[in-house]
Amino acid sequence: MAIPKKGPVKPTLPLTYSKTLLPRREQIKDMITKDGTYLPKSLLHADLDKGFLDFVKENFKIVTEGVTVPVVDIIITTQNWSQFVETWDFQNIDKNLEPPFLTIIRNPEVKYGNNPAVLYNIPNRRMYYYMEVPTWDGNRKGSDIYKIPQPVPADFKYTVALVCNRMREVNTLNQKVLETFASKQAYQVINGHYIPIINDSFTDESVMDLEKRKYYIHKYDFTMMGFLIDESQFEVSPAINRSLTVLEVGQKTIKRPQKKKEPVELSNIVLNYNSGSTSESYFFDYTCDLFFQESYNISSYSVYINNSYYGDDATKIQINTNDELRIDIVVGQLSGIPFLKFSQKLI
Amino acid sequence: MKNNVPITRLGKFFNDREFELEIEMGQEWLIGDMNYTCILYKIDRNKIKTDDVYGEVVSDGIKFLPPVEFNAQITIAAPENKLLGSATKMDQVEPGNITISVYLKTLKDLEIDIDFGDYIGYYDSENFVRYYTVVNDGRVVSDTKHTYKGFKPFFRTIIAAPVGPNEFRGL
Repeated sequence: MAIPKKGPVKPTLPLTYSKTLLPRREQIKDMITKDGTYLPKSLLHADLDKGFLDFVKENFKIVTEGVTVPVVDIIITTQNWSQFVETWDFQNIDKNLEPPFLTIIRNPEVKYGNNPAVLYNIPNRRMYYYMEVPTWDGNRKGSDIYKIPQPVPADFKYTVALVCNRMREVNTLNQKVLETFASKQAYQVINGHYIPIINDSFTDESVMDLEKRKYYIHKYDFTMMGFLIDESQFEVSPAINRSLTVLEVGQKTIKRPQKKKEPVELSNIVLNYNSGSTSESYFFDYTCDLFFQESYNISSYSVYINNSYYGDDATKIQINTNDELRIDIVVGQLSGIPFLKFSQKLI
Repeated sequence: MKNNVPITRLGKFFNDREFELEIEMGQEWLIGDMNYTCILYKIDRNKIKTDDVYGEVVSDGIKFLPPVEFNAQITIAAPENKLLGSATKMDQVEPGNITISVYLKTLKDLEIDIDFGDYIGYYDSENFVRYYTVVNDGRVVSDTKHTYKGFKPFFRTIIAAPVGPNEFRGL
């Protein structure tokens, strides 16, 4: 029996389920907001804290005896219930945290930062030109000017604490930290910004009292050299607008006659032999032919081009570019200043 | 061969037989009347699975000899509400230590000994047993407190700290 060509048969089967309900809504929200504007994204305290949590989860993942050491997925604050909610899956029957686990603590105080890229160079938080963005409202083409203030540097101090019972887990975290910070600093991309993180120090607070439960507490202190950008402080102002006028014309092409080039008429060349002179020169920076027109008080003349003899009483002289024309004359019997007149034609 | 030297102190009004009588009376009170019981999970040091370098027990690697129930006087300290380390900001209520006072004769009769690291189970209720690890086995009993009026030692005080299920879960 042949497979029917039309009907309910699906040509392909999806290998994964499509997202529904809340995951789908979050997916749509991400599609809308990702790279949604030309402006940089805000970077505030909560963003940096979340970025550091992600940094720890990505870089300090410890697997011991086939089980991943859990990370407390929040910055522990003053509200006790949040600790319970975030740690319920590795609590024991006393609702105490069962080692091993990693926890992240942020010092509440955030001081002015030491990030040299944004340190003390523009006073008074002046708004600065960021970029010009073209706009189009359907009629007018224009642009908007985006201005943002300089980001404020801020140092965030974090402590990552490993609580565990075994030296192997201590070793694994130590190796990861040392490798990650072998070049002094590591980076985390938070909302599209590269934020450097520096490992400050390492302390051991292991509980080794004789008559108490013993466990290791290893603390690594980090400084995230972040900066604060608040998108509510951005300014968008319109710049130049330009109207676009559209002229509708026929699409039939009309062939026009080609214009004839009219010859360029050059003026005549007149050589005057003043003060008893019998020789005159003329330099040409173009190529042309000279035609004898008239003379006065001259019995004969000899033509030289570049000091080479050309001929006597020549009526047509061919001149090339950069030639020097010299004409020597024999003065006639008349009184008055002798002259020679030639017309010229470009070649 | 060990020399046995008879204890003759307090001899005018006390001797070995009276000492044994006092112990038997005490056991009658502790076992017969009070009947506090603990379970000793003695570590089997030959079969326990440990790390090659650090000697730490791997997960579920603790092996123990058959559990033995014994009678003792039990005192459990109050739980302590404290932070887990100074800077973790994770607070918890740490269960208190258990202090076990057991007659030496009881240990001898049951042919058991309690060492550092052994686990002890104590039933808080019918369906919940808390486990402790011995942090002080009380082996040194030369002090006057552990003797019967200075005559001879007669009990041991063992202190054990609570452990979590990731370390020991009993049977």
